[in-house]
Amino acid sequence: MLFLDLLIQGLLQGSIYGLIAVGLTLVYGLLRILHVAHAGLFTLGGYICVIVTNQTSSFLLAVLTSMILVGLAGMIIYRICYQPILDQPPFVPLIASIGLFIAMEELFRIFFGAYGLSFTELPLQEPLALMQINLKQAEWITIASSVGFVAMLAFLANRTKLGLAWKATVTDPEIASSFGVNIIQVRYLNFFIGSSLAAVSGCMMAVLNNLVEPTMGSVPSYKMLAIIVLGGLGNVRGTLIAAVLLGIIESYGTIYLDDLLDRDSIAFVFLIIALMIRPQGLFQRH
Amino acid sequence: MLVLENLSCGYGPFRAVQSLNLKLEEGSVNALIGANGAGKSSTLMSIAGHVKIQEGKVFYKNNELNQIAVHNRIRLGIALVPEGRRLFPDLSVEENLKIGAYHKSKQRYSTNIERVFELFPRLKDRIEQLAGSLSGGEQQMLAIGRALMAEPSLLLIDELSLGLMPKIIDQCYEVIQELKKQGMTLLIVEQNTKKALEVSEQVLILESGRKVWEGKAEDAKNNPEIFEAYLGLSS
Repeated sequence: MLFLDLLIQGLLQGSIYGLIAVGLTLVYGLLRILHVAHAGLFTLGGYICVIVTNQTSSFLLAVLTSMILVGLAGMIIYRICYQPILDQPPFVPLIASIGLFIAMEELFRIFFGAYGLSFTELPLQEPLALMQINLKQAEWITIASSVGFVAMLAFLANRTKLGLAWKATVTDPEIASSFGVNIIQVRYLNFFIGSSLAAVSGCMMAVLNNLVEPTMGSVPSYKMLAIIVLGGLGNVRGTLIAAVLLGIIESYGTIYLDDLLDRDSIAFVFLIIALMIRPQGLFQRH
Repeated sequence: MLVLENLSCGYGPFRAVQSLNLKLEEGSVNALIGANGAGKSSTLMSIAGHVKIQEGKVFYKNNELNQIAVHNRIRLGIALVPEGRRLFPDLSVEENLKIGAYHKSKQRYSTNIERVFELFPRLKDRIEQLAGSLSGGEQQMLAIGRALMAEPSLLLIDELSLGLMPKIIDQCYEVIQELKKQGMTLLIVEQNTKKALEVSEQVLILESGRKVWEGKAEDAKNNPEIFEAYLGLSS
């Protein structure tokens, strides 16, 4: 049973990574910007979740509020931080993004304190056994919401006019706009959706650890960058597979390599080896 | 219908076109010819909105285009067949055509796609295929088809024959003739002067960003010295 349990734990971790990294890969696909501050939005999502849950005792309301507010914050970041420097070489928005991420961490520290926040009453802790797998409700919800949101994203991309406009804008914004696609709207929407997904994963992280702190985004920020490279920059499917793979490897590693390395070291050793073997990523962008 | 008034356009401080005046009548076929770098494509792309208008004005159906966002120009009826096709290679033929009719209703989409398949039956067989996997000729057909999906009243065509086999070029020009019969206004940028003259009524020759000759296509055909003088070749 240990084998299966570890697989489930891996999927759980992988789904959190996946939700963060998808937003990042969407931004990269559209604008060729490495949006490091995305991890700051993940943290913001966690904070909003804890604060709203503590105020209203409704976790669902907290997640929805978090998604909307963080989505809007993502749009504002695009407008203020990226849009004015889109014509610059890629390292300029990258540096702006790193600066913004550091500033966000400091703002969390100033507004909410250095030691972080916890739920006054931690929601979704009852055990729930499905198909002989015993997990907490929060863990089931994390996996289910990741699958659900990814399915929604796939539907949006492949079955709607908006998805078509998005794909066209990714390939050739100039020609897409010539055929009536408002590429500015597409970009805003892209930031809204990607940031909302980061918010969901921030909420899940908050409820799984019962803690949000200013620096909770730092390790995920490194990992998400490595994941999107591994997934083949801008390739959404590849990113999701890479995220789940990383989650599973971490999960097994923490048991079988525990004497040698801790969880994050295992993840980075795997990422370094994978990128040495396939620097272009596991999956090509097509 | 389309009026360029004293148009200067280009990239950054560079002027690709200087003080160009031009008037296209409704339903006319017009060729813009000239050597490489003469400013033909820049003129076309400034009408489409992708090259900055630095001075002067462009009017289409009495709308000043500079006031109209690029993505709204197609609603006025201006569609582009860009140089090098610029299809969406990762999208299927059908999706490329859908983008062409992006601002149209589902009903118009169905009508228009039938029309495009009548003109290019081969696209119908390839509907599920990725645009990037088509042959050069099929890609050009798709690029024209994509623009026709928008039901344009003005079609801007940039370097139609570039990189295509003679047989395919002929096929494409047959379609141009058909569109001409239907009364569409066409502005064609071509290096293949002979082909351009066959189909067009009005001809404009550009050299280093300036208009050097304008007149009827027939006059141009009957005076090969024009081409020798401006383009260094005979028609």
